[in-house]
Order: sequence, then structure tokens, then C-alpha cells
Amino acid sequence: MSKQSEKLSDAALVTEIKHGDAEAMEEIVRRFSNKVYNLAFHLTRDASAAEEIMQEVFLTVLSKIHTLTNEAYFATWLYRVTTNASYGFLRKEKKFTEQTLIDDTNSEHSAVYDWSTLPDDVLLSEESSEVLRTAIDTLPDTMRTVVIMKDVEGLKNEDIAQTLGLTVPAVKSRLHRGRLVLREILSDYFRKYSDPSGDNV
Amino acid sequence: MNCKICSKLLQEYLENSISEELISELNTHLKECRRCRIFFRTYSLTVTLSQRIETPCCVSSEKIKELTSLLHERLFPK
Repeated sequence: MSKQSEKLSDAALVTEIKHGDAEAMEEIVRRFSNKVYNLAFHLTRDASAAEEIMQEVFLTVLSKIHTLTNEAYFATWLYRVTTNASYGFLRKEKKFTEQTLIDDTNSEHSAVYDWSTLPDDVLLSEESSEVLRTAIDTLPDTMRTVVIMKDVEGLKNEDIAQTLGLTVPAVKSRLHRGRLVLREILSDYFRKYSDPSGDNV
Repeated sequence: MNCKICSKLLQEYLENSISEELISELNTHLKECRRCRIFFRTYSLTVTLSQRIETPCCVSSEKIKELTSLLHERLFPK
């Protein structure tokens, strides 16, 4: 791999690919393959589907690279294609839950138990991680996608909005509602560690 | 500041996108309101725990090689 390619920005690499530079294509794959794979894995929770989706996404995006008019949008385009391919997989598997209604209207007002003071070995246990992963899985797809992109994968609100065709306030709203649902589920789970003397408000 | 406003500001606070003045008001409210304080801590911790979810793995170098040779074949045929 050429050191030259490693130094180029994403947008510059895209320009080089458009000019037929195969090394730039390899660098783009190297730079984004884990990101695409991880996003697809978190959305589908299926390792082999995530690998297939990763391959399909790069084939689709790079074969249509000439249609991308603004090179700076490459990453969000890549994430959008990844998200759509993951939704396609979930539809096939009948796991798409966009219509699921979640009643989170009372979650800000329900009794709160302070599980933040629990020791790290409880908070960070494999069991609690699994509870959280399963809880994320139960969110409706757009909300789940926003939570995964923001809190798990660390993308910016603006990039998530562009990827999903939403406004930034819509991203924030879904993120907040998703976090509220997750907080409720974690509160229920951690309650078993609560002090019987009562720590609820 | 009341509990409703405090709850709405929480997300902006975590994004570092509220003014110093509002942060000060928020902190004053959190000192006085145990309910909001617990809500704030558990909400923040929910975000932290989500951030700590392990990413599945890195894509193997064999898979990357396989993918790049497929891309070479399709996009840059000799």
C-alpha cells in the first residue's frame, strides 16, 4: 500500500478512484471496511450477514462512484447504503420493526432507582452488556440505527442525519427516546441489586 | 429551572452544546433535586455503557484481500 494514499483525505481518495486509481480504492476499503462491517453487524446482529453486506456495499458504492457529485459526502453515502442493505436483510428475515410502537412517554417520570452507584463489576458484567445489547435490538429500526450510530459507533449527529435523510433535531429526538427506553430496561435489570431499605425516589 | 427543562437539557449537556450559564443553572437544580440527579446519572451511564459495547471484531485481512481482488476484477479489469 502506498504511503501516498494513506495520507490523502477521504474526498481526495474518492477523486483518485474516479480517475481509475486502484490503490486509492484499496485504501478506501482498508479505511472503511471495519466501520461498514461493525455498523452492519450491530444492525443485523449476524456476523455472516455483516460480511456479505460489507462486500455488497463496497461493490455497489465503488461501481457507482462516478455518480457521487460531492466527494465529501462519501462516508455518509457509504453508511446509508450499509443501513439500507442491513434493513434489506432484516426485512428478508422478517426482523424489521419500524412500525413497533414504544411507549416511552412516561419514562422520564417513572420512579428512578440509582443504579449508577453499583460497582463496576456489576455495571460492566457480560450479563449487563447482553441486557443492553438485547434492549437495543428491541428498539424500532430507525431509533436503533440512530443509537447504534451515535452511542456505539460514535458518529456525529450531522452525519447520522445525512445518512438517514433526517433532520438533526429528528436524530436527537430519536436518540433521546431510544436512550430513555434503554435506561428504563437497565433500571429494571439493575433493580435486583437494589438495597432492600429502598433507594427509589 | 424545573425538572422538565432539566430533563430536556440533559442531552445537550452531554453534547457540550449548552452555555456556561445554563450548565450552572442545571448544576444548581441537580444539587437540589435528587430525582433529577439520579435520572441524570443513570441516563449518562446508559450512554457510557452503550459506548462500551464491544465491536464484534476486525474484518480479517483475508476477507479484505478477497474483497479488494473482487473489486479489482469488477472495477479495474485488465
